[in-house]
Amino acid sequence: MPFFKTTPSGLRIIIVGAGKVGATLVEQLSAEGHNITVIDKDPNKIREITSAYDVMGLAGNGASYLTLQEAGVSNSDLIIAVTDSDELNLLCCTIAKQFSKCAAISRVRTPDYSREASYLREKLGLEMIINPDLVAARVMSRILYMPRALEINSFAHGQAEIIKLKIPEGNILNKMTIAQFGANITNNILICGVERDGKVVIPSGNFELATGDIISIVGTRKEHSSLFKKIGFDTHQVKTAMIVGGGRSTYYLASILLKSGIDVKIIERDLTRCENLSEFLPKAVVINGDGTNTELLLEEGIDTTEAFIPLTGIDEQNVMLSLHAKKTSSAKIITKINRTGFNDIVSSLDLGSVIYPRYITTETIIAYVRARKASSGSNIETLYHLFDARAEAIEFRVTEDSNIINIPLKDLKLKDNLLIAFIGHNGEAIIPRGNSVILPGDTVMIVTTHTGFNDITDILR
Amino acid sequence: MNYPMIRYILFQVMRIEGILMLLPCAVSVFYGDGEGLTYAIIASILIIAGFIGCKFVPKNQTIYVKEGFAATGFTWILMSIVGCLPFVFSGEIPSFTDALFETVSGFTTTGASILSNVEGLSHTALFWRSFTHWIGGMGVLVFLLAIIPMSGGSNINLMKAESPGPSVGKLVPRIRRTAFILYAIYLVMTIIETIFLLCGGLNLFDSLCIAFGTAGTGGFAVRNDSFMSYGPAIRWIVSVFMLLFAVNFNAYYYVLLKEIKKAITMEEVRTFFLIVLAAIAVVFVSILDMYANAFDALTDAVFQIGTVVSTTGFGSADFDLWPTAAKFTLCFMMFMGACAGSTGGGIKVSRMVLLFKTIRQELASMIHPKMVRRITLDKRVVDDEVIRSTNAFLATYAGIFLISMFLVSFNGYDLTTTFTSVLATLNNIGPGLALVGPTCNYGFFSVFSKYVLIFDMLAGRLELFPILIIFNPSIYKK
Repeated sequence: MPFFKTTPSGLRIIIVGAGKVGATLVEQLSAEGHNITVIDKDPNKIREITSAYDVMGLAGNGASYLTLQEAGVSNSDLIIAVTDSDELNLLCCTIAKQFSKCAAISRVRTPDYSREASYLREKLGLEMIINPDLVAARVMSRILYMPRALEINSFAHGQAEIIKLKIPEGNILNKMTIAQFGANITNNILICGVERDGKVVIPSGNFELATGDIISIVGTRKEHSSLFKKIGFDTHQVKTAMIVGGGRSTYYLASILLKSGIDVKIIERDLTRCENLSEFLPKAVVINGDGTNTELLLEEGIDTTEAFIPLTGIDEQNVMLSLHAKKTSSAKIITKINRTGFNDIVSSLDLGSVIYPRYITTETIIAYVRARKASSGSNIETLYHLFDARAEAIEFRVTEDSNIINIPLKDLKLKDNLLIAFIGHNGEAIIPRGNSVILPGDTVMIVTTHTGFNDITDILR
Repeated sequence: MNYPMIRYILFQVMRIEGILMLLPCAVSVFYGDGEGLTYAIIASILIIAGFIGCKFVPKNQTIYVKEGFAATGFTWILMSIVGCLPFVFSGEIPSFTDALFETVSGFTTTGASILSNVEGLSHTALFWRSFTHWIGGMGVLVFLLAIIPMSGGSNINLMKAESPGPSVGKLVPRIRRTAFILYAIYLVMTIIETIFLLCGGLNLFDSLCIAFGTAGTGGFAVRNDSFMSYGPAIRWIVSVFMLLFAVNFNAYYYVLLKEIKKAITMEEVRTFFLIVLAAIAVVFVSILDMYANAFDALTDAVFQIGTVVSTTGFGSADFDLWPTAAKFTLCFMMFMGACAGSTGGGIKVSRMVLLFKTIRQELASMIHPKMVRRITLDKRVVDDEVIRSTNAFLATYAGIFLISMFLVSFNGYDLTTTFTSVLATLNNIGPGLALVGPTCNYGFFSVFSKYVLIFDMLAGRLELFPILIIFNPSIYKK
């Protein structure tokens, strides 16, 4: 009976590991209509997750052939292994690959394997190896290059960037409408989202900006630099950075920063870890001491450092350190939040740039899943969550047969809460106007508070 | 409590029940018995009220366990009250209590009737009576989940509350599809049975009503003597289908996936058939000398064990006249009931298996106090949570049983009548022994006793807790 075998829509996905990333993936992928089976060794986690989301749960070892078989691996489209253990993740994917034609994504965090990621990926035939700490470190380093920005994401192979910043008191942007911004400041940069009092809006022309708003802007790096100068933000990158905690993220971040000539100081409590770090990062200054000791922080120059990044394993400690640093220094601060659940409180505190590694991980995977689902091949180039996943920025590739091409934008009937942020045409990022048209082969980035877009035509009403 | 969501579910149920009530209208038009108008008026009121109520979709559609249980309890009470209205207004069962008893008996697939003359009812009423079995068998909320798209995954709690068994799982990741597959299997099996019955020589109306009664494991028949005037062919067909509908539907899903081995190695299904075979043997031997030939004895033994263990309750013989050993075997089958995940009632085979294994483990732990051994089912460790809730179920079951018997005992009937009336309603079977035996009915009980038995039928079908929770004041506190 073929009726019982075909799935009406969505991919059949197996997620192994119901931890932080696993749960976020379940939440978002099940909302997008995929058929998900979750495997975790802890029956309690399975019970929680199956009573909250419309997914099937299975308690067992995800690397066991029988468990995978019971989860229906033989006719699955994708397996995502995100357990705590790298070895288990790789084994899950390898075993799944033996019995089915499904695609496989594995999370690998240990630096040892991560350095060999591309080798492993090729040899084991995986579609993607994702390292959340490394990805988070890259995002953090981009912020440090332009410290006034809260968040920077690049699109279209670096041609365009989406930058988040907060309007400080007394800035000229205060009380300016979006239309005036275009006319008086620059019309090569688009304001594509505004967060005010915890709510995210996609602004229209007569929207008035105010002090304390967090805005997302789209444009090229050059335009952004000149905008920053016009609105009185300094643009030089940081020269010194202080990191508290010596875990994996510290290792990845420090190695990126050191490569681009930034002096890095690491404070770590555990002596063995300090020794390891100094072995792998000979240029870094590694301090063996308690990073939560304010005396020590002062002694090591928290008041003079240009960037301060707490990367201890405990979110609460990171938040306290950031608040402390905000008081005692003028450094650029980045706060990493691993667990979430208190997004509203975190965003109400003045923590500088806040990054959520699990969102970064999930959005990378979701972009892959969406691209795979799109029937005409890969239409989604990249996907980013803005404002803690309350809005999405998606970059689409436009195909020949799309029904939005060669029509001036002002004649397209777009959905509400949606904005076309830029059009990538022949390697150039164009900020769209009413008369702009989208041509086949272009890439188009949209910003929206809707979710689940799979194709550029989804922007139409 | 998420009241808007419960209200929304109740309106959806009203709408669906209204639409389903149009079927007896069609029957009425076909037979021209003139009863259809009452049904049509009530159906249209339900549909209109349902449509208006469903316009207000609640923003927060989360259903936690307590909302799932309470919504299920309220749903079943509402649909029983609404479902009995046609009987009252058409004047065929003028007393509200009697009509409610008959409807609850229908939806809960009990099959206990207050009517002494079933053949006196119109075709329309007979059809609606049997059709309530079919709706109640798989459950109206499962039907709702299959056809109405609802956001979020928390509506699994509705299915958990309505579907029988110690632990309710899904067949496929999506709940809507799971519900859809269950109903598809249910529908196809009902159609196959109808075709068999047609070939066995019944007319279409009787075939449909009997098939509804079998599929839901209900037990309303269309003749006064239930099955006693049907020939052996019909009896064998119905026997086989009663047993099939008492099997865990997961087994049929495995068959559809061509995983036959998985289906026949399910521990619950195998235990079920072993017990059924043993029971048939006991009954067959003890009634053998009452019959002129062995085949008739075997036919009745199989039919009666099938009807009781599946909690259907058709009567092919007056087993009240059988020897005590046979009667006791039937009573034990009534307690045990069908498999989890089937349309049958009772305590369920899987709970019996778990109970037996718990006793064995308890004994072993007295001999070796430090021994560690997990209870398994189908070679998988059973969650402590499931064991705990199974034990709680059995304790609650015993409590409700005793209290109901105590309340019914004030009617002053003999102990067998009192005992088996509660036994046959709480396990959704229908006929009991003595005054409520297969040739009798429940019409003579006092109004108070009827409400006690109505409560028992609902509690039995929903496996106690969804009905108990709505009497717990703390869920109404803000």
